[in-house]
Amino acid sequence: MIDLSLNEVETLSAKAARGAGFSWGLAEDIGRAARRIAVEADNWGQAMLSLAEHAQSFEPPSPARAARWRSGETDAATGGPLCPIRTAALLLDEPLPANVMPLTILDVGLPVWLDAMLSRSAMRVARPAGLATRADVVIESRAETEQSDTGRRGAIDERTLAALNSFAARTYVPESERSRLRGAGGGRVDDE
Amino acid sequence: MTAIALRPPEVVMRLQRLGAAHPTRLSFLRQLIRRATSEQWRVRKYLFDLDDNGFGRAVYAVDTPVRTYSLVAFSTPLDDEKRSDRVIAQAWDTSYVLYDGLPDAADIARLEANAPLQEAGRYTRSELVLARANKSVRLFEDVASALAQGRQPDEEQLLGVGYLLRTTAVYGNGKFGIADRDEISSRPELAGSFQAEMLTVWLIRSFTLDLADHVARRRNPAGAARLAPDLRRALGVGNATGLGMAPFLVRHPLLTHSWFLARETALARVRAEPQAGAAERDAFSNALADLRRRIARWHSDDSRQAAATRILAADLGALAENLDQLLAKPRPWDALYRFAEDHFSLEGQEACVSLILEPHGALIDDLGDTMKADETPGHAIDGGMSCALLRQALLDSYSWARAIDFAEPSASARFWYVSAEKLEPRLGERFEEDGAELEQPLATARDALGLAAALAKEPSTTSVADFLLRRPEWRHAVRRAQIVAKFPYAEIHDNLIGAELRPVDILRAKLAFFGARSFDPRSDRWLRIALFSGEPLIEDVATMAGEAA
Repeated sequence: MIDLSLNEVETLSAKAARGAGFSWGLAEDIGRAARRIAVEADNWGQAMLSLAEHAQSFEPPSPARAARWRSGETDAATGGPLCPIRTAALLLDEPLPANVMPLTILDVGLPVWLDAMLSRSAMRVARPAGLATRADVVIESRAETEQSDTGRRGAIDERTLAALNSFAARTYVPESERSRLRGAGGGRVDDE
Repeated sequence: MTAIALRPPEVVMRLQRLGAAHPTRLSFLRQLIRRATSEQWRVRKYLFDLDDNGFGRAVYAVDTPVRTYSLVAFSTPLDDEKRSDRVIAQAWDTSYVLYDGLPDAADIARLEANAPLQEAGRYTRSELVLARANKSVRLFEDVASALAQGRQPDEEQLLGVGYLLRTTAVYGNGKFGIADRDEISSRPELAGSFQAEMLTVWLIRSFTLDLADHVARRRNPAGAARLAPDLRRALGVGNATGLGMAPFLVRHPLLTHSWFLARETALARVRAEPQAGAAERDAFSNALADLRRRIARWHSDDSRQAAATRILAADLGALAENLDQLLAKPRPWDALYRFAEDHFSLEGQEACVSLILEPHGALIDDLGDTMKADETPGHAIDGGMSCALLRQALLDSYSWARAIDFAEPSASARFWYVSAEKLEPRLGERFEEDGAELEQPLATARDALGLAAALAKEPSTTSVADFLLRRPEWRHAVRRAQIVAKFPYAEIHDNLIGAELRPVDILRAKLAFFGARSFDPRSDRWLRIALFSGEPLIEDVATMAGEAA
């Protein structure tokens, strides 16, 4: 196992999320959520890899479905699993009214991410916990709590790390000799 | 007393002015020196195990009131052709960590196997900072051989360069496995911006001076001289900074805002003072004389900087001539600043900001504590806002961007990317190089205008949350727009992808907040600077309590 700092967890996760196809803004949120998972559990690497691998198979909530949640109507699933990130982003941007909670949302992919994303809000996933691939989830209110990250690290096994690094590598530009010389400027050896 | 308005972001946050920034008494190394002095931090040379050539290991321990920190230094042989300022270098003359506590023999052995490898090594939460430095080879050798012959080195040559070693990277906040900033951010002595990094560099400075003395003494144990105290105090640590640091100010908008707001608030406070006391006048005159001496030695081969420095020298000459009559006016510091604004170059104006702040510690030093921001939780988006309102906020805070015509290729000539080879930020030519589809989200002006255009197509009552549900590609720009609307110094008011961009302007602004001097651009995208030159030595602060820092 390799012991990563939480900053490494966050930057690697944000890059891997971007490499997996999430927008820059969502990738930033995912990095921060990965940090929360690493603080609270030991499986952040596996959670991040599952998210990157499944990113393309998730569906965003439709505006009609979002309106249904907001008005307290019973949810209706629409086919593929809901993207936990897009769902959480919507709920964070415009939090649910307290009177519709607890709210059941059907067929959410990787609900651990929904919970991690919501951890900076007054909502949380009541169930299920753990690394389910897809599940119906219950969102409930909770008191906002700020816990200390002090002393936490993000352990990860080498294979998962390599897989995340290859997602992250999709955001890098290969270097040509020309860009190497121009891109950073400089290139001279000490001359004093 | 009527308040003086803060200089607005449209004046302060222009690249040209950022590229003329000067360090002030609020700069991070000055904050560190003040705390260390008032708390009488003590430095112990806990280990100094170097051979005749100066290769080996050393540990300098600093006792602060509650905790001990240690600089662990390694000095290793390096072939001349491998000595490079570039971040792609793979070996260095010296490498360092700032260790949390006092390392035992096993820690030192572990660090000795890793620190010389820098990025290729692996570190733990006991390490707070990782750094390396290369010798200014000729100067180091000249100093060592002069001292070995029992004489002091040539002062002009020494102070012309200003340092014996130059750091080429100083890493903090969790890089390569070192401790996260969260681990130290609640400790008063390291809570401020970059205090752990500044402490590391301050200790490196003492190590580099001791290294020169050591090599000289081993060459001539009976007759070597020690570097004179005034020369030790005059020398700093060099630093070479490249593009890698440039995106920092863009990626940390809350922190950036807090730094500039503090400095501008300090300036407004001093300008509102009704008169100048004798002590303040004296302190100002001393600071002006000190700066003029430093400028006389400020050397750069960069023709732009050399010209700017010459004009700065003339500006400060004019200031000295007019000083008495300016300070005799009501609100003398405001009169002085306005005189600078009317008559001086940007270098001259920003130097005056620094000079005006210098005598006023009692009035402004409390602002140092505000120069930080916790960006770890992330900034929540207000999705309840309507698209029309967000668009209006954008047009207000980015009115400067509307002057840029992004239909012109030159306006988007560049793109920021991360290189696969070194995982460092780089700047590419969009229309000449591959990779623009992997552009980093640093095109602030273009994206703000693009977002405004996308919002214009939405029904005005549509919520931002609904918009983002359909258009997640705008999420970063929405977050930024909402931050900038609340924190006006968060954004640089210039195009960061234009053909005219000079990234050294961004680097200089950040380095000035660190406390850097002697800015020496080596191209439009990297520069050399000096830190701590002319400042107290860390081993002296325990005995100089009460002296102004």
